[in-house]
Amino acid sequence: MKSFQYLAPIPAFDYAAPRTLSELFDTLDGHGKELQLIAGGTDLMIALKERAVAPKIIVDLGRLSKELGGISVEDGVLRIGALVTFFQIESSPFIARYANALRQAAANVGTLQIRSIATLGGNLATASPAADSAPPLIALGATVTLLSRSGKRSLPVQSVFAGPKRNGLRAGEIVSSVEIPANKEVRSAWTRSAVRNENVLSAVSVAVASTIQHGRFGLSRVALGAVAPTPILAEKATGAMTGSEATTVQAERVAALAAEDARPISDIRASAHYRKRLVLVLTKRLILQIVKESMAP
Amino acid sequence: MKVKVRFKLNGASKTDEIEPNQTLCDYLHDAAGTTSVKKGCDTGECGACTVLLDGMPVTSCLVLAPQVDGREVVTTEGLGTKSAPHPVQQEFVEKDAVQCGYCIPGMIVTLSWIFEHAPEASDAEIKRLMSGNLCRCTGYLPQIEALKAARKRG
Repeated sequence: MKSFQYLAPIPAFDYAAPRTLSELFDTLDGHGKELQLIAGGTDLMIALKERAVAPKIIVDLGRLSKELGGISVEDGVLRIGALVTFFQIESSPFIARYANALRQAAANVGTLQIRSIATLGGNLATASPAADSAPPLIALGATVTLLSRSGKRSLPVQSVFAGPKRNGLRAGEIVSSVEIPANKEVRSAWTRSAVRNENVLSAVSVAVASTIQHGRFGLSRVALGAVAPTPILAEKATGAMTGSEATTVQAERVAALAAEDARPISDIRASAHYRKRLVLVLTKRLILQIVKESMAP
Repeated sequence: MKVKVRFKLNGASKTDEIEPNQTLCDYLHDAAGTTSVKKGCDTGECGACTVLLDGMPVTSCLVLAPQVDGREVVTTEGLGTKSAPHPVQQEFVEKDAVQCGYCIPGMIVTLSWIFEHAPEASDAEIKRLMSGNLCRCTGYLPQIEALKAARKRG
């Protein structure tokens, strides 16, 4: 029984809190799978208590906030450090201006107490199919910068997710930051459905981003969470939306395609059938919402 | 292997040698003497163990004790004293916003944060911000009333 194990202390491990990136990479080099990184810890602590992981050493990234923190806009790119918390995302004027869908998703993660410590980098590295930050980032065309001793590489957000709770990072690599094109013309929105409003995992989450000019959608993306082994770009919906007329009929068509793009399973949060239906309803709602906003004076 | 931590607890510097495999919640309650910090669910759901970490409310059961090194922790003991309570603490007394009491220290920590950082928050926003503090006795209304009274008191 999982619950009994909460009464016993977490099995012993060593703990390191490197103060520089080179110290961090030294520590990573010396260990393999028996090492776990901790940022906010809101996922790792549960995994430790459930004995889902049993690391020999935990490496705390908390001392590297200068290297891995901060939200900035430079040369048309919104950069969010891996250690930025959901509360910081929820409260950032930059993110409100350039990444509304991400702000909405961040404000709905867990509780205030969770948002105060849970980080964007941790959410991506944990790679849950229901990671609430992922659909907004995919819709906004974000890339993730991974850092290792040998240098940096960039991946589209969906490529960081290799499978349920399995990330695509190589050994010795960490999530360093997320980059989003900073374009004020892009309208984006996120919503989800869950069994209650607060402190709950999404049964389905959807994000939509588009530029809308002269009654047409420009480059658009529809992204879905919790309806496949990883968060996904809804490809048929995205293809049909880009360049099409910004009408209610078109919103319905794109939403129906998004439901086709979804490959959900049935679990305790919702049935597969209901999830597909939710994708349709939520996608249509979001598209109509950003169209309406684009027409407001 | 023990690790050395130096941090501020309720305004006072504290240095300790601790085993890393304990939560901040267990450390504060069992070793540091701040027994207001209650372990409820131990999974970050109930909020009874809420403390301020560098000014933000966190569930201390989801923090490893060594993570506080170099940082500042405030529990409800640090918000006020018997003779000079925090306005939220005072109004919990006035409004009788307590039944069994187990959730109250954590709830006071969260409400003190809302008091300081969201002074204009509507009822709906207050409810959203306090959704991480579960109370199975009261139904939350007395605590919201206490917060509003504390705002008037200033």
